[in-house]
Amino acid sequence: MRSRDGNKTFSLSIPISILFLSLALNAGEYLISYRYLIKDSILYNETLNISQAMKKCSGKVYNPLILEVNKEKNLKEIISQNREQFIYYLHKLGLNLVHKDKTVNYIQNSITILTLHTKCFKVDFNDNFVKISPLK
Amino acid sequence: MRYLLVLLTLLSVTVVNVTAQNVESAGIETMDVGEVSPAPASTQETMNEDLLEENKSLIVSVIGQGVAPLKSATPAQAYALAKRAAVADAYRLIAEKVKGVRVDGQDLIKNMMVKRSTVRTSVIAMVRNANIVETTFKEGLCEVEMEIKLSHSQFQ
Repeated sequence: MRSRDGNKTFSLSIPISILFLSLALNAGEYLISYRYLIKDSILYNETLNISQAMKKCSGKVYNPLILEVNKEKNLKEIISQNREQFIYYLHKLGLNLVHKDKTVNYIQNSITILTLHTKCFKVDFNDNFVKISPLK
Repeated sequence: MRYLLVLLTLLSVTVVNVTAQNVESAGIETMDVGEVSPAPASTQETMNEDLLEENKSLIVSVIGQGVAPLKSATPAQAYALAKRAAVADAYRLIAEKVKGVRVDGQDLIKNMMVKRSTVRTSVIAMVRNANIVETTFKEGLCEVEMEIKLSHSQFQ
């Protein structure tokens, strides 16, 4: 439908769509997994794996994390700079827990494993911040 | 015929009264069926535990403990590692409280003596949206107070 002041709505939509397209071009999909093991209350083998997705992920984004960065485009670098914040965010997303405890003649040994199974995250890179959102 | 019936009724009433008197004299206590004896203190404590009700959220709070490894490079690293271990312990405690624990026990007895006593416990769960309330680190031991808000809708 033509607006009252000529084709203004249509002409405005072009730069807006270009802006959104440029944002989308800066977006990437990454596969992230995280795991650590606690044996007798001591931490072992904390592993965080990050890799770019080879195939397009499906699903909707939810619960995004925004990290402030300074024109950095490497996700691994960004996460290592904001490590504690990112790990806390992964905990909030939900980790699978497996705990086994064995007591033999009143001597106890325990193992707890916390895992984030490989999950696809959509990452939008911007000048001042990066938006990391999991896909469900 | 009517008189006979009245006589029979009167006789039955007297028989019942006599039996009741005999029971009392024999020292047997009788109790109404409607009465319920009070539960022992430990059972009452269990019964008073919070239950998750509809339209009402429940907060579960735990304190997890973790220890720094002996070979930590710096005190900061020791703190970070101990905190991670404490968080995992708190997660485990939440899972145990909410989902429950599987317990398996085995005792080996030979010549009337316990040779080996084994208790295995395990928990498998998925925990999300737990919040760290407070963290303390003292003499290599890190304690993390953690709580999780549960609602009825999460379990449907």
